[in-house]
Formats: sequence, C-alpha cells, structure tokens
Amino acid sequence: MQITKEALAGTLESSDLFVRISPTDGPLELIVKSEVEHQFGDQIRHVAMQTLARFEVSDGATVIIEDKGALDCVIEARLEAAIMRASDEETIKWGTRL
Amino acid sequence: MSDELDFYTVDPDREPEERAEIVKLLAECGLDYEQHIEAFIVCREAGKLVACAGFQKGIIKDVAITSSMRGGALSLRLVSEITYLAHSRGYSTLFVYTEPHNAEFFMGCGFYPLVEVPKQTTLLENTPVGIKYYCKTLTRQRVEGKKIGCVVANANPFTLGHLYLITEAAKRCEWLHLFIVREDASLFSYSDRFELARKMTADIPNLTLHEGSMYMVSRATFPAYFFKDKGMVGQCRTAVDLLLFRKYIGPSLGITHRFVGTEPFCDTTRKYNNDMKYWLQEPSSVAWPVKVVELERTKRDGIAVSASEVRRLLAKGNLERIKKLVPAPTYDLIINKYVDKLHRSDP
Repeated sequence: MQITKEALAGTLESSDLFVRISPTDGPLELIVKSEVEHQFGDQIRHVAMQTLARFEVSDGATVIIEDKGALDCVIEARLEAAIMRASDEETIKWGTRL
Repeated sequence: MSDELDFYTVDPDREPEERAEIVKLLAECGLDYEQHIEAFIVCREAGKLVACAGFQKGIIKDVAITSSMRGGALSLRLVSEITYLAHSRGYSTLFVYTEPHNAEFFMGCGFYPLVEVPKQTTLLENTPVGIKYYCKTLTRQRVEGKKIGCVVANANPFTLGHLYLITEAAKRCEWLHLFIVREDASLFSYSDRFELARKMTADIPNLTLHEGSMYMVSRATFPAYFFKDKGMVGQCRTAVDLLLFRKYIGPSLGITHRFVGTEPFCDTTRKYNNDMKYWLQEPSSVAWPVKVVELERTKRDGIAVSASEVRRLLAKGNLERIKKLVPAPTYDLIINKYVDKLHRSDP
C-alpha cells in the first residue's frame, strides 16, 4: 500500500500508543520509543513490521511509535488505522481478513 | 475516571466566555494569555475548566492544568488532543517552548528537546527524528574545507547590500552556504526572495544556495523577528535560534564562519548580530564555536544599503532611490509586482 499523506492514530495514554506515519522518498523506517523499551522493544518492532508487511508497506514511509505499554493487539489496531488514514484507501473492509 | 472528563475545541476569538475562563485558569497557573492563538483544546471536569492547551502556527502555547489534576493521565490526553487538532489544521510537526524544569513533562508526551537556554527556556519538537532528518539532508551538501562560511538572509528584498555581503564572504572562504529564510511572513514572498537570490548568486562558483527551514529564523525558532515592525524588540529571543544553528546546522555542514552585515537601521537585526557573537563564539559544551564575521555594509550616496530601507522607500513610492539600492532583477520585480500590490492595499 502506498503511503500518500501523513496520518496519526492512537493516543499517548497509558496502555495505548501514538502512531505517526509520514510519506518519504526513501526506504521504510520504523522508530519505536517505548516506556518498556528494554523488555518489549523488540516485540513491539516485530508486531509493527508484521503489520506493515501485511499491508505491503515496504518503502516510502517513516513510522514513529510512541508506546505507552500497549498490548500487541492494540499496536496492530492502531497501526492499521494509521496506515488506512495515510493511504488513499477509503474504507476498511471489515468482512474480509486482510 | 477519564470518562468524566469532557474535551473539546475552543476558538478564542469567537467564544469570549470560554476565553475568559481560559484566561482565569492560565492566571491561576502563573501564565499569561497569549494573543493570536488559533484554537484551544479545553478539558472540563463536572463543568469546571481544569486544563487547556492552545496552538498557533505549529507552536503549542498556553498549556495549563489545574494543580489538583496534575501528575495524572489528563496531561497525556490533553497533548494527544491538541496534536490531533493541530494536525487537522495542517501542522504536523509541533514545537513547544517551556521553562527547562517543565521540559520533562513534554518529554513524557512524545516531545524531544532541541535546545535549552539555561534557566530560561527549552524548545522541544514532537518527533524524535525531525532535526535528525534535516541534518542528514544538509550533510549530503557538505563541502570539506578549512574555512566554510555561511550567510543567512531574509533578503526582503535582495539588495546590492546582500550581493556585496555574499560576494565578499565567498571570497574569504573555501565554500559558502547561503540560506534564504523560508517563513512566508515578509512583504516579498519566499518564492520571489529565493528566485532573486538564485539569479544573483548563480555565477559564484563556491556557493551552495539552500532553502531555509523551520529550524532557522522561523516562527518556531525566532518568533520576534517576524513581529519586529510591531515593536516587540524588547522581548526578542535570539538564543534558541542561534543555539540551533551552532548545535545542528553548523556541524552538519562543517561551518566555521558566519558572515553578517553591520546593521544601521533595524534594532532587531542589530540585536541578533550582537547576540550571535555570544551564542556562536563563547566556549560551550553544545558544539564547537562558529566565528562571527561582521562586514561593514556597502553604501550608496553615503547611506548604508539595507532591505528595510528599500521597503521604507517603497512604501513612500520613491522608486528612483530604490533603483540605486537594488540589482536590476529586484528592481524589475518591484515594478512588475510589488508597486501594484502596495498601492492596491493603500489606495
């Protein structure tokens, strides 16, 4: 999926995360800032990269995650929302498995 | 508990009653109400105003939380909300000025410190990579040498004074980096100012012309510059802008010297030049010093050539005098575009 505009998702509240995706003309870059970086930094990066791969975001974007201790499913959900908002895709196809 | 909190947007110019309550909350928190805020996010608990945060052109201002609500989750929600609001109005990177002892509050809300003026102010931005990416693009244009110069000009408009300063500076160093202030807050538009600078410096072989950025003489780094005609010189804060230059821009390009013209007319620019010597040259742990070289302004008929003088003459319609102070392309542009523009607004 092509990232065409900057988009935000999530919040900075506890157990949530704030995602910012911006289009670039370079490779995909993922930056994770987390309060639980030491214990879960790699896991957060792993979940994020998987989600990005599922949407075929492989380059042309910078993804910044400000994590406040979110669960994996929350990370996925917030990232999905941000990707949809940042691409020209209008609606989420809730009925089909992406 | 957070469901008892009610967050919403306030336009301070259209909602005087809300504004009055914001002013009161700010006063309780020891803050002044700032003029020209585009919108506030406010938070009420059981009808009572407990928090607010405003923004103006990508700068967050007037953030206050009533003392009994501090240290809780409210602040994170407040900053999230203001970030969304500013984003929806077209401001993606946000800046905030705060006293250094409050910097940690914003660092917990996704802000990253850029520079600190000890005991006075810290400037933060809400991205961990903003300045980093900017420096990377600069580093790509780096030219190695013992004496690498820099000129930062608004060039509003480009005069024979700019031409003299730039030509002289280029003669005195191995490479010269010229930046044109990007902020579109001046009489002459950014694209016109940049285009004239490009035309006039095209034949200087050891010069790179750069687009300005929000990290250099912008509303974010040097708000007072753009209000100088409104008599705000006394509050002029130059340190943040100069420290950003010394800490990030200078080292990225390997700049050793910064050239400025002596300033006979404009108080703000004169103060900026004087402050430059302090913030760029004094020993500091921030970065290596950058030597400030002040060149005597070139004169025509005994009067120093300056862009502010050209604007003054333009306002009076004294085109003959302007002709002596600016290169031909600037004069042509004034005739073709700006004479009309001024007269239309001043019939």
